[in-house]
Amino acid sequence: MTEPIPLLEKIGKEGRVWGDLCEQYGVDNPDPPWRVLLESTCEVLNEGSCVLPSLERRDEEDDLVDGHYKHIPHPERQLLALAHSMILRGVISEEDLEKHMKTVMARLNAV
Amino acid sequence: MSNSDNHDHKAAPMVDEISDFEALEVAVRELCIEKGLFTQDDHNEWTEYMHTLGPLPAARLVAKAWLDDDYKQLCIDDPVKASLEVGINWITSMPSNFGTPSDYCNPRILVDTPTLKHVVVCTLCSCYPRPILGQSPEWYRTPNYRRRLVRWPRQVLSEFGLQLPEDVEIRVADSNQKTRYVVMPVRPEGTDGWSEDQLTEIVTRDCLIGVAQPRADRKADDKRPIIRAVHAYGH
Repeated sequence: MTEPIPLLEKIGKEGRVWGDLCEQYGVDNPDPPWRVLLESTCEVLNEGSCVLPSLERRDEEDDLVDGHYKHIPHPERQLLALAHSMILRGVISEEDLEKHMKTVMARLNAV
Repeated sequence: MSNSDNHDHKAAPMVDEISDFEALEVAVRELCIEKGLFTQDDHNEWTEYMHTLGPLPAARLVAKAWLDDDYKQLCIDDPVKASLEVGINWITSMPSNFGTPSDYCNPRILVDTPTLKHVVVCTLCSCYPRPILGQSPEWYRTPNYRRRLVRWPRQVLSEFGLQLPEDVEIRVADSNQKTRYVVMPVRPEGTDGWSEDQLTEIVTRDCLIGVAQPRADRKADDKRPIIRAVHAYGH
């Protein structure tokens, strides 16, 4: 089992999962709108760049889901596992990811 | 008609909040693009393709086979060719136009009989016949299902509510990078004289994976009532 990644641990602990949001907003769509985007990211990472072949990713996802992200539902845990695998390979850094998440948050919440 | 007439309906509720998970998905994707791992166009193409997938083509394939013995034989002999008749081209319909990255080009149709039931799993990861069946359900990906189905298929099927008599043999098909399986269940009683469209409606996704049997009184898009268990002690 790899070391925990503090940023992802924090998201797993404090982030609001789709099921909670659905309950609050009265939505019955079983999947968050970003699920299909996540699936596509996994596919293109496998297909184009070979940075993260599907089988490796799924193996790591199984390990991570059994460990660090055990109590997180799907697809949130698939997303955390993908980010974990990318950081583990040094493809993206935890710092860059945290910084970019703040930028994304500000952009998506802009009014 | 006035504008107010056009908008005289109540909008479906929406989640009006950006979660950390949503921001994480965007951030990972954009950093990958920034690093040149793929382009936005590559990603868009996959996303649009993913949106078109669903279990309907496989349901129609089964319905056609129930009505036409020659087509049923074609499904067994050459599933790629049989899939063309329900609008699925395994070879060129993927965004890459040369099959998928993991070559999902060897589909197999597993034909059930009254004494033989097939059920599909991917013990290694979560391989699934997406071109013809859409995205896999969450439970199909879980290590629990993958591990236990091959050891105790009868028990796992009973957890799905599918109780099979002892004289029915269960065969578990393990998907892999090259070969993807779809189950052709037995046509249920009470469907004599039905059209292809009617039959298609009762072949649900779970029937095509093999964890359910089609029934004349249950359509794929029916609302599923939850029948609560009765507490043994009446609490």
